[in-house]
Amino acid sequence: MHLFVKSGVDVIEIGVPFTDPIAEGPIIQKAHDRALKKDISLKNIVDMVIKFRETNSQTPIVLMGYLNTFIAHSDLIENSDNLGIDALLVVDIPGELKLDSYGIANPNIDTISLISPTTSDHRIKQITENSSGFIYYVNLRGVTGSSNLDMNEIEKNISKIRQYTKIPTLAGFGIKTPSDAKILAKCADGVIVGSSIVEMIDAAKETKDFSKIEEYLKDLHRAIN
Amino acid sequence: MNSQIKLSTVIGFFGEYGGKFVPETLMFALDELETTYKSLKDDPAFIEEFYKDLSHFVGRPSPLYFAKRLTEHYGGGNVWLKREDLNHTGAHKINNTVGQILLAKHMGKKRIIAETGAGQHGVASATVAARLGLECHIYMGAEDVRRQSLNVYRIKLLGAHVHAVDSGSATLKDALNEALSDWVTNIDNTYYIIGSVTGPHPYPMIVRDFNSDKTNGSAESNELFNKLPDAVVAFVGGGSNAMGAFYPFIKEDDVRLIGVEAGGEGVETGEHAAPLNDGTPGVSCTEIELIYCKMMMVR
Repeated sequence: MHLFVKSGVDVIEIGVPFTDPIAEGPIIQKAHDRALKKDISLKNIVDMVIKFRETNSQTPIVLMGYLNTFIAHSDLIENSDNLGIDALLVVDIPGELKLDSYGIANPNIDTISLISPTTSDHRIKQITENSSGFIYYVNLRGVTGSSNLDMNEIEKNISKIRQYTKIPTLAGFGIKTPSDAKILAKCADGVIVGSSIVEMIDAAKETKDFSKIEEYLKDLHRAIN
Repeated sequence: MNSQIKLSTVIGFFGEYGGKFVPETLMFALDELETTYKSLKDDPAFIEEFYKDLSHFVGRPSPLYFAKRLTEHYGGGNVWLKREDLNHTGAHKINNTVGQILLAKHMGKKRIIAETGAGQHGVASATVAARLGLECHIYMGAEDVRRQSLNVYRIKLLGAHVHAVDSGSATLKDALNEALSDWVTNIDNTYYIIGSVTGPHPYPMIVRDFNSDKTNGSAESNELFNKLPDAVVAFVGGGSNAMGAFYPFIKEDDVRLIGVEAGGEGVETGEHAAPLNDGTPGVSCTEIELIYCKMMMVR
């Protein structure tokens, strides 16, 4: 995580392992499977964040996961003053429902919601009203790690979202190369890259040589600035 | 009657259960399906089309058969069997797929997907898709493909593509995840036929309605016995059979509704298929509506 920050990452998103990660493509699905086989729980992740915070109190951290996990550990989220976690992104809760209905709200933690190419104007309004932190715009019809970005559609939808909210809109799903990031950074306030990094982490798990990831992140950083 | 059960489906919640817990991209498709279903379900032409298919294609109403020797074996009461196994394709599953393929037709969808465990829902979906000449993809856990090779053969004979899913435990839940991935990717032209009452709203409502048609249940019972049955017994897996069997009786205080889950090695061993007897409530897109059945069973 410190390497990410050193390489120009502004916000770190951590996936919370779940048995049925229905929004994920094969790369991140396998990462969920690997983590579950090693019994990685939400508690372990919170402990990891607390350790990270010993030397970094600045970089925002977002937990991305599925509702059942957070409900099962609601006490962990709700009763903590300072977990070091800045926001939750619960993939499978409809944006018009509120996390406090499920006992997982915390005034110190922002609620990030997804808006997709198929979200109606009416829902964009409801979702932006319930969101804080930033809006996560899903670039494509598909799961994480897919291809085929339709730039015209993305640009049109992000400018639509901006009519309803002043919080930043970040674009994610399907971003693989620095040139993808460069184009998207023109219309979004930031870009979110997941599958490519997860794939590189898996490839480097034996050697522990993460220099390629560092290089890749620096390239992305240069491309969007 | 259990007073906390509200038969309202206005926003897709049944008390604290129900809802749509899926990624945002799918919300549009669920709204589209709900709008279509609501506009058609009371339309006389749609109803006529559905019942015509049930009688001429499925072979309903299925007989209600007095099981004389089973009755003698148990030595009390009278056991009648509702022979859903005599429907075309051999299970109650076809009732729902016949109804949903009509919805797909009205929505102009050209591509059908479905997930299946034992394969019955896969066969029923492939059958109705073949009848309309629609492209059909069936997702099935690799382990289930191996165990249910005969149904896999039938699905392929009907012209559908079978996708064996290797991820996770390579069974039904993994097939469902893959089917959802397909749907989220091909959402504009694809209709997803869900066969159990465990999906996101409006599916449980639709599956319930298509499985509890007017030829099922109380009217039939009144005609045969001049009274309602004392009890209705149904097996519970994904809940479609139980929901269809129970629903016509849910407001009848004097009819006991008994759901039966597979106990396997015994509920206490953990080696079973009885999540309602030994499970915890959750809000994933796959478990919530079962709890609705549970509420009905424990009354």
